[in-house]
Amino acid sequence: MNLELTWRLLRGGGRGGLLGTWLTLGAVAVATALLLFAVAANSAFQARTERGAWRNPVPAASGAVAVEASRFDFVRDRAITVVDLAALPGRAPAPPPGLPRFPAPGEVWLSPALAGLARDLPAAELAGRYPDPEGVLGDAALVHPGELVAVVGHEPDAPALTAGRTDDWVVARPPVKVASLAGQPGEDAQAYQVLSLIASVLMVVPLLVFGGAAARLTVARRDRRLAALRLVGATPGQIVAMTVAEAVIVALAGALAGAVVFALAVPLLAGIEMQGGPWFTADLFPGPLVLAGGLVAVPLLVGLSAVAGLRRVVVSPLGVAKRETPPAMRFVRVLALLAVLAAFPLLTRGTSVAVIVVALALAFLCVNLAGPWVVGMIGRITAAGARGPARLLAGRRLVDDPRAAWRTVSGVALTGFVAGFLGLLSPSALDGDAAGPLQLRVTAPAGQAERTAELARTRLRDAGVPATVRPVKDVVVAALGSSADPAALDRARTALAGIVPGRTPTTGHDDRRFGTQILADVRVGTIVVLSVSFLVAIASAGITATSSVLDRRQTYGLLRLAGTPLEVLDRARRAETLIPLTVMGGGAILTGAFCAVPFMIGGVSLVGVLTLAGCVVAGFAGVIGAGALSRPLLRSVTTDPAPRPD
Amino acid sequence: MNDVLVGRALTKRFGQTVALGGVDITVRAGEAVAIMGPSGSGKSTLLHCLAGIMKPDGGEVHLLGRRIDAMGERGRSQLRRTRFGFVFQFGQLLPELPAEENVALPLMLGGVPRVQAVRQAREWFGPLGLRSMETRRPGELSGGQAQRVAIARALVTRPAVVFADEPTGALDQQTGQETMRLLVESTKHNDASLIVVTHDPNVAAWCDRTVEVRDGRLLESGALA
Repeated sequence: MNLELTWRLLRGGGRGGLLGTWLTLGAVAVATALLLFAVAANSAFQARTERGAWRNPVPAASGAVAVEASRFDFVRDRAITVVDLAALPGRAPAPPPGLPRFPAPGEVWLSPALAGLARDLPAAELAGRYPDPEGVLGDAALVHPGELVAVVGHEPDAPALTAGRTDDWVVARPPVKVASLAGQPGEDAQAYQVLSLIASVLMVVPLLVFGGAAARLTVARRDRRLAALRLVGATPGQIVAMTVAEAVIVALAGALAGAVVFALAVPLLAGIEMQGGPWFTADLFPGPLVLAGGLVAVPLLVGLSAVAGLRRVVVSPLGVAKRETPPAMRFVRVLALLAVLAAFPLLTRGTSVAVIVVALALAFLCVNLAGPWVVGMIGRITAAGARGPARLLAGRRLVDDPRAAWRTVSGVALTGFVAGFLGLLSPSALDGDAAGPLQLRVTAPAGQAERTAELARTRLRDAGVPATVRPVKDVVVAALGSSADPAALDRARTALAGIVPGRTPTTGHDDRRFGTQILADVRVGTIVVLSVSFLVAIASAGITATSSVLDRRQTYGLLRLAGTPLEVLDRARRAETLIPLTVMGGGAILTGAFCAVPFMIGGVSLVGVLTLAGCVVAGFAGVIGAGALSRPLLRSVTTDPAPRPD
Repeated sequence: MNDVLVGRALTKRFGQTVALGGVDITVRAGEAVAIMGPSGSGKSTLLHCLAGIMKPDGGEVHLLGRRIDAMGERGRSQLRRTRFGFVFQFGQLLPELPAEENVALPLMLGGVPRVQAVRQAREWFGPLGLRSMETRRPGELSGGQAQRVAIARALVTRPAVVFADEPTGALDQQTGQETMRLLVESTKHNDASLIVVTHDPNVAAWCDRTVEVRDGRLLESGALA
């Protein structure tokens, strides 16, 4: 009976009711799509970690079948992962991922992108380092499409696999005997996974707030009707069952729609470059279990939020009939935030990723607790300083329902600081001597620096690359002329390839590659998270504005009849969102940017500034646009000459 | 007495339904007129046409000799804001504004600085029996108190005409009578005319005369007092 009545309520809600249902559905769809994206980001980095694991050899305790080592080479400022492999005598190791067979001594296998580059560039710049490739690596060997990888087969006693290498993972991995090529996650991949987890927390917290709000939005619209049902004798249990059923039906449809939207967006998302390249589309799809979990969890969460929103109706049938001054936000919310912030350094002292992420989530949740209090304060200040009716209305609305405004701005406020901080930093901030002379350095075996330097001179001279070569202790330094361009550098790299077995001559920039890359990637990630936050803000602003018009259509209509210009109502609605967004979101971004000033040794990144500015401008425009979308609805409800209560 | 508001040969149709079928009505300065009639008789449509909320299909509406039915929406909107006051059945107060700011709102919309608008608004609270209610929000007021705040808001701009659409419809008998007394006395005290749409003879009895609308036509008009 309850389900049937629920279905009737859902279908017979009239134009306003149906619009409310669609709004909830849309909100849940947006929340689900973005939630899936947040989850998918983690599984995508996990997939990359697994894809790259085979290049990080695990020393075999027993049963070794092969020797494996890896190092980075460079071309045109891009890293090439070079994996040296040799089968141990009498052993037939399984081939590495993406190869049809284990590479024989002397064989070279290149990734498609590296093979293409080797064809396109003059042989003296790249192909000379990897002559006569045997074939092309399959996707299974690659972390991302377009990755530059070379697999080189050797004899097990080849110098490349016996000479000592640095064990700094940023540069190379020394040769070890392995029982298989399963490998292990690389340190860099693990760092990215931690960062993606943090990004997910940043995105998920505002999304949960937004998704929960969407459920309450349905209830808010229906509470009068449900209160009426309660008055005619429906039990609290029946009310709860009907509400949950209605919210869950709508949320399930919304979650399915969100999943479809996410699936359609995957090809676009796959184009976001991280770790030097875009993504394999398949890596971006979370597993079927995760997907099913999301489709179950979202409606469940919406149902729970609906119950929470209904509490007032169930407690008292008259609970929704009267509108009283909302209790002031308690300062204890701010105290909770301060307490967590004070404890934060202690909580994060442990190196466990889980503890750090939990501490971070706790901090964000507390920011979420304190956020509405701050919005309320902003509302009070706005109302106190308002001279015109629009600002007064906006300020009073913020005081009346600070949570609604916080829902809209929370994501931007949470992400804004990080975006502001990183947005302006130039990756070259890490490149202290970028302006110095271009040098290639390689560490020679002990006592062989002079001999290696002599060999380097000869090779560079033969390659036609002007350079001054000198040994500095064990390091051979080849200073290229100030006129050296990327082509000359690559000719020098090719000429010096293999000069010290197992070691790559590198520039200072190459050595700092990981730091530069991770800073650039964190910047991209921050912009992505900020964009998601703005999307939540845009959706939330649109839904809040529309539901506010629907909920207050009678008052707006009567105000309009009494001669209140539509523009005043519109300005008030706009200010309601823009004031907290500017103060909290804009304030967070500016504070972040201000804090970044001491780190701008390498100069301000113009691209970063433009990207951040573009993101902020688009975000603000989107929020204004989303609010403006409800203007025709406002016009329509206020031109009704005889507004009547629901 | 001077004619303040005049409606001549007013007609209005909604599809096939004739809401007003040629109504003539004149409201004089300081006069309180009750418009009575059953549901669907056209009394609210008449009020909306007279108040410039709705354009009649035919006929003319004049306020103090100036034709208002031919004005554009913006002009009529301004007129409603400055020359008319409105009291509705309920739902007219903004729930998030305290009572004094609800009353001050029309003044602020007219460009009066906030401090001055609130000061002027407060002057209405004593005479209407709302002392100490200034900072309460609508949800914290009783139905009768909320209607008195609405009366203050309707009168704060010193309008020429106050329109009241079922002003006591949501109140009990005693509170309704008290509200009508205050409404009629306040409008007269401010030299404003009052047009009340009601189906309650007890409410109409507070007015100087009553006109009855039936099937879109004015049946008769008579002075009660």
